[in-house]
Amino acid sequence: MAEMTSTSYQRTMSTRGFYRKHKLVIMPFVFIAPAFAMFAIFVIYPIIQSVALSFTEWQGIGPKRWVGLDNYRELWGDRVFWTSLVNNIYWLVLFLLAPVFGLFVALFLNQTVFGIRLVKSLFFFPFVVSQIVVGLVFAWFYDPAFGLLATILEPLGISFPPILADENLATFGIIVAGLWPQTAYCMILYLTGLNSVNPEMIEAARLDGAKGWRLLVKIVLPQLRAATFIALVVTVIGALRSFDLVAIMTEGGPYNSSNVLAYYMYDNAIFRYRMGYASAIATVLFAIMNVYIIWFLLRLWANEKGAR
Amino acid sequence: MADVVLRDVRKSFGSADVIKGVDLEARHGEFVVFVGPSGCGKSTLLRMICGLEKITSGQLLISDENMSEVEASDRGTAMVFQSYALYPHMTVRDNMSFGLRMAKTPQTVVEERVRRAAEILQITHLLDRKPKDMSGGQRQRVAIGRAIVREPKVFLFDEPLSNLDAELRVQMRVELSKLHNEIGATMIYVTHDQVEAMTMADKIVVLRDGLVEQIGSPLDLYTSPDNRFVAGFIGSPQMNFLKGQIVEVAQGAARVSVPDAPDHLLGIPLRADVSVAAGQQVTVGIRPEHFLGTPGGPGLEVSIDVVENLGGIAYAYGRTVASQDVILKAESETPPQSGMSVTASIKDEYCHLFDGNGQTLSMPAGALRTREAAA
Repeated sequence: MAEMTSTSYQRTMSTRGFYRKHKLVIMPFVFIAPAFAMFAIFVIYPIIQSVALSFTEWQGIGPKRWVGLDNYRELWGDRVFWTSLVNNIYWLVLFLLAPVFGLFVALFLNQTVFGIRLVKSLFFFPFVVSQIVVGLVFAWFYDPAFGLLATILEPLGISFPPILADENLATFGIIVAGLWPQTAYCMILYLTGLNSVNPEMIEAARLDGAKGWRLLVKIVLPQLRAATFIALVVTVIGALRSFDLVAIMTEGGPYNSSNVLAYYMYDNAIFRYRMGYASAIATVLFAIMNVYIIWFLLRLWANEKGAR
Repeated sequence: MADVVLRDVRKSFGSADVIKGVDLEARHGEFVVFVGPSGCGKSTLLRMICGLEKITSGQLLISDENMSEVEASDRGTAMVFQSYALYPHMTVRDNMSFGLRMAKTPQTVVEERVRRAAEILQITHLLDRKPKDMSGGQRQRVAIGRAIVREPKVFLFDEPLSNLDAELRVQMRVELSKLHNEIGATMIYVTHDQVEAMTMADKIVVLRDGLVEQIGSPLDLYTSPDNRFVAGFIGSPQMNFLKGQIVEVAQGAARVSVPDAPDHLLGIPLRADVSVAAGQQVTVGIRPEHFLGTPGGPGLEVSIDVVENLGGIAYAYGRTVASQDVILKAESETPPQSGMSVTASIKDEYCHLFDGNGQTLSMPAGALRTREAAA
C-alpha cells in the first residue's frame, strides 16, 4: 500500500518535472512580478527620466537640448537654490520636534479616563484634514489684520508681526503649521506602540523603583524603538518633501525667503517652463533623500536578519 | 513575629467593593497561598500588599511597620508576575540587577547578588541572553531571580506557573518549595489551582467575593472545611454533595438519612456550637476517595456514565437513583465500566455535614474523628 502511493507520486513528479521541482523558487517571483512591474513603470522609470532630463534644456514642448552639467553649474550659483536648501535643513531639524511632541501627547493620552476617546480623536484630527486646509487655517491664524493670534495679542498691547510677510519668520511660520499634523501622525505611531507595552512590565519597573523620567527612558522608550524608527523616517521624508504648505501659505515668498527645494522645482517647471533646471533640483533633492532612505533600508535589512 | 499583617483591609473601585475586609497574618518564613475562583480578589489583595493598588481602608503592616502609604519600591517586597514581565531589551543580568541599580547599590554588591541568585536558580549560563532567546521555564527563573537579588522580606507570586505547560509546572512547583526552604523568606503566593495550594502552602487562605472563607493548613482545609464552599473548592475531583435529612440528634451526633442510600443511616458527630433539629434539611459531603469500594454493602446505588482511568487511580462519574451527580474513586486495574451499576458504601467517619446556608455542622472528618471517637 505504502509502496503504491510512493510510485504514483514519483510519476506525477516526472510528468510535471521542472515546475514541480522548482515551485518554491518560481512562485515568489510570480507573486512579486505585478508589484515590481508597477514600481518599475511608475517609480524607477520616472527617476531615470528625470535624472536624464536634468542634463538638458527643455521647455516642456519642442526639442530638448543637451547641456551637460550646465543646469548644475547654474544651481551652484543660484541664491534661491541655497536659500531653499537651508530652509529644507530648518524644516528637517525643527520637524524632529514632531516625534518628541508626539511621544508626550501619546503618553498623556495613553490613560483610561472618561472621555479620552473624544480627546484622542481631537488630537488625531489634523492628521485627517488635508494639508491645504491646515495651510489655510494657519494663514488665517497669522493674518495681521483679523487673524486669531493678532486678535488675541493686540488687546494685550503686543504688536503681532505679519509672520508670513516677514522674510525672517515666514519659513518658521510654515514649519509650525507643518508640525501640527506631523505631531498627530507621530502621536498615533506612539499610541500604537504604547498599546503593545506589557502593563505588568511597567508595574515590575515600579516595584524595581523606576519612576517618572527614569521609567520613561530606561523601560518605556526601549519598547517604543520600532515606533520611534518609523516616526523618524516619516518625519525626515516629510520635512524634505514639504511642498503643499509652502505653496498654499507663501508660494515661497516673500522674495523666495520661504522657498524649499520641492516648491522651487515646481516653480521652475510649471511657471518658468524650465524642465531641465527643475529636474536638476529634483535630482539634488532625490540624492539628499537617498541618504535617509538607504539608512532606513539598511536598518530594515539588519532587523530582518536579526529576526531570522 | 509576623512579617505581614492585614487588618480589616478593604478595596473599592468606585462603587464596586472588591476586598470587603480581610484580616490576615503571615508569620516569618511562612508560605501562604491565596486561593479562590477567578474574580475573588486574590490578585488584588496581593497587589495591595506590594503597593501596586492603593488600600481603600484598613492597615497593612510589614515587619511591624505600617506600609499602607509607602511607595511600592520601598516596602521590602518583590513580586513575580504571571507574564514574568521581564524587560525585553535587557539581558538577564541587567533584568536581575535593574532594581538594585535603581536603588544605587554599589556595583560589587550588585554583581555578587546576581551571581548568587543565578547559582541558586541554575541560570548562570543564561546571564548574557535576552528574554526572547529563552524558554518559558527559563524566563520564569529569571523573574524569580529578579525578586531574589532584591533580598526582600516578602516574596509575592501572582499565578507564576499558569503560563507553563503541565510537566514544567510540576517541576517548578517542587523547585519553588525547595527555594522557599533554602531562602526561608516569607512568601505569599496567589493561584487558582488548588493542587498548587495544597502541595506548597504552609497556610492556605481561601477567598471568595473579597472575603476570607477560611484560613488554615492544607490538611485542616481538607479534613475540616468551615463551609460548603471551601469543601467544594479544596480537593480534586470535587467533593460530592448529597441531599439529606436529620432523623435524630443524640449525644452530640446526628443521624442522617440520605434518600439515595435509603438503607444506611449515617452517624455524624456534630461541632459543639451548632444547633440542629430532627427533620432539618442538610447536605452531606463525601469526597470521591472516601467511598468504600466493596460492592454489595449498604450504600449508594450509582449508575456509571463515564470512567476516567489515570493508570494509578480511576474516577467514575455517575448518577444516583435520585439523579444526583456523584464522582467515585475506583480501582484502576479493575475499573467499573460505563453503563454499569455499582453500590458505593459510605464510611460515616469521612462524611461532612452542612446546613442550609452551607455552614459546616460536622466534626473534622477522617482518621482524626475515628481517633476521637475511640478515646
